Amino acid sequence: MRSRPWAGLALAAPALALVAIFFVGPLMMSAVLAFRGKDGGFTTEHFAKAFELYSTDLLFSAVIVVVSTAAIGAVAIAIAGYLTLGEHPRTQAILRWLYRWPLFIPFIVTAQVMRTFLAKNGMLNHVLIGGGLIDPLQAQSLLDWRGIVIAFVWKQAPFVTLLLAGAMAAIDRQHIEAARNLGAGRLRVLFGIVLPQSRRTLLVGLVLSFVTMLSVLSVPMMINPNSPTMLTVDIAYRINSHGDYAVANALCLMSLVLASFGAWFYLREAARKVERT
Amino acid sequence: MSPPSQATGSPYLHADAVSVSYGATRVLDRVSLTVARGELVALLGSSGCGKTTLLRAIAGFVTPTEGRIVVDGRDITRLPPEARGTAMMFQSYALWPHMNVAANIGYGLRMRGRPRDEIAKRVGEMLRLLQLDGYGERSIAALSGGQKQRVALGRALAVDPSVLLLDEPMSNLDYRVRLELRHELRALQQRVGITAVYVTHDREEALTLADRIAVIDAGRIAQLGTPDEVFHRPVSPFVAGFMGADNAIDVVHAGDGWSWPAGGAGTRARAHFRADRARLAPPGTDAGRGTLAIDGAVVQRVYLGTQYRYRVHAGADDFWVDDPERRDEGAAVRVLVPPDALLVFPAAA
Repeated sequence: MRSRPWAGLALAAPALALVAIFFVGPLMMSAVLAFRGKDGGFTTEHFAKAFELYSTDLLFSAVIVVVSTAAIGAVAIAIAGYLTLGEHPRTQAILRWLYRWPLFIPFIVTAQVMRTFLAKNGMLNHVLIGGGLIDPLQAQSLLDWRGIVIAFVWKQAPFVTLLLAGAMAAIDRQHIEAARNLGAGRLRVLFGIVLPQSRRTLLVGLVLSFVTMLSVLSVPMMINPNSPTMLTVDIAYRINSHGDYAVANALCLMSLVLASFGAWFYLREAARKVERT
Repeated sequence: MSPPSQATGSPYLHADAVSVSYGATRVLDRVSLTVARGELVALLGSSGCGKTTLLRAIAGFVTPTEGRIVVDGRDITRLPPEARGTAMMFQSYALWPHMNVAANIGYGLRMRGRPRDEIAKRVGEMLRLLQLDGYGERSIAALSGGQKQRVALGRALAVDPSVLLLDEPMSNLDYRVRLELRHELRALQQRVGITAVYVTHDREEALTLADRIAVIDAGRIAQLGTPDEVFHRPVSPFVAGFMGADNAIDVVHAGDGWSWPAGGAGTRARAHFRADRARLAPPGTDAGRGTLAIDGAVVQRVYLGTQYRYRVHAGADDFWVDDPERRDEGAAVRVLVPPDALLVFPAAA
């Protein structure tokens, strides 16, 4: 059969064109504008200004997403682990039904739910006071960095759990039974047998969550809009209040660099897997 | 490692009237089985008969609805799998791909908190025992089927288990490898002196490996005995059929032996015989005293290498008979079955 290299390219061309027009082009334009001065020449003044004004927020964003990612990982491992290794079918069925709910709730609604839940006079403190766990004077608002982390974990943990539970369910059941048969309790089976075999899926879920959280505006805007806050709030502020696209573009590139750490981590793991095989 | 020992006859493993149900379906029905120390008992049966369920109940992956399981005087019926001290070798081997050979073999010892040097020493012993010297650092993916089987066996033996449970461990291997490993496994089991329960649906494997065979049918033990007893003296038509005597025919006892067809006066019965114990002769050949003669016609011929296997149609029945002489399909023949080849059971009501 004659090979027709152009036929393949022609088939991929519409998709490539869409990516180029709607993604690569605007991204390049944003990067170019971040380095373009008022006179049209090259400059780094927008980055200098962005660092001067928002270096704390940059660090704050990085810490928030790293802490949230770690917490999401822990929650996802706990839930997926129980769904895979638990021995109470009814509890597993209830958990399987419940944990997915936040998947269908938008970030903005999540943020609003968390505002009413975590405020000083919110539902959490009411429950704690009503349960006698804290005094009314001890009640405090969690609508700060903790609120953002809780909202992110609540919203993103089900997504990672969904992926992870699927990967764990795909592991040959006899692998689990073999470990238990040789004396491993369920926790050791989880961390010694099940998780190592599903870690790539966990990693993919966490990287996707990491990048998603970096781009969320509604949660930090509604829970903790005051400084220090996340870069997304700063970007929106530069554009909406000052029409300052140059600094906003510089902040976007800084976000992109943060996001690319996640991509680098993922690609490094993928390369290791290729080396092993 | 346990000192080599022979089966002593005293019950070491005792499954006492064990029943297992999945929902409304009763998979095991009051099964009782004793295994002596150092003995290898094969659970033989067709798919879905309950043999693997019994093994899994001993391992702790299935909880009996009735009965109890005792190992060396200790009731383990309600213990979780990790507290039983048994070791199971799985049909798929269930080797962990993220660990190398040595880590797989040493896993059970790590779970028991043994020191690292002791684990390394034991893993080395296992690798030598299973002729896998130099394979410790290999990835599981780099092993052949036979090597995986050895690693799985080494992993189970490394913890010096109270009972070794083997769930059709050779079903994924080539015939030649299977034959070789079958003998190796038997020799190893006898050398180590370990008590073992071996699940298989392969009659030949059970006969070769086991000290005793439990033939299981529909959740019950149909017969428990030595390979010789089960093979030559099956207690039921089912066991006879499962052990290869799958030619069955209605006969009548009149005069000095069994005869066919079973239309005349006398005691009626159902006779089973093996294809290789009968022979074909031309029609009208004198059967001789006590020999059952069945007249029929060849309807199918299969070449076996050293001889042919013929499907013979007689009356309403079909039989398989082995014979070295080549015959054409459609040829009239007389099937001759010597009296000592007949396994006779009471006729069905």
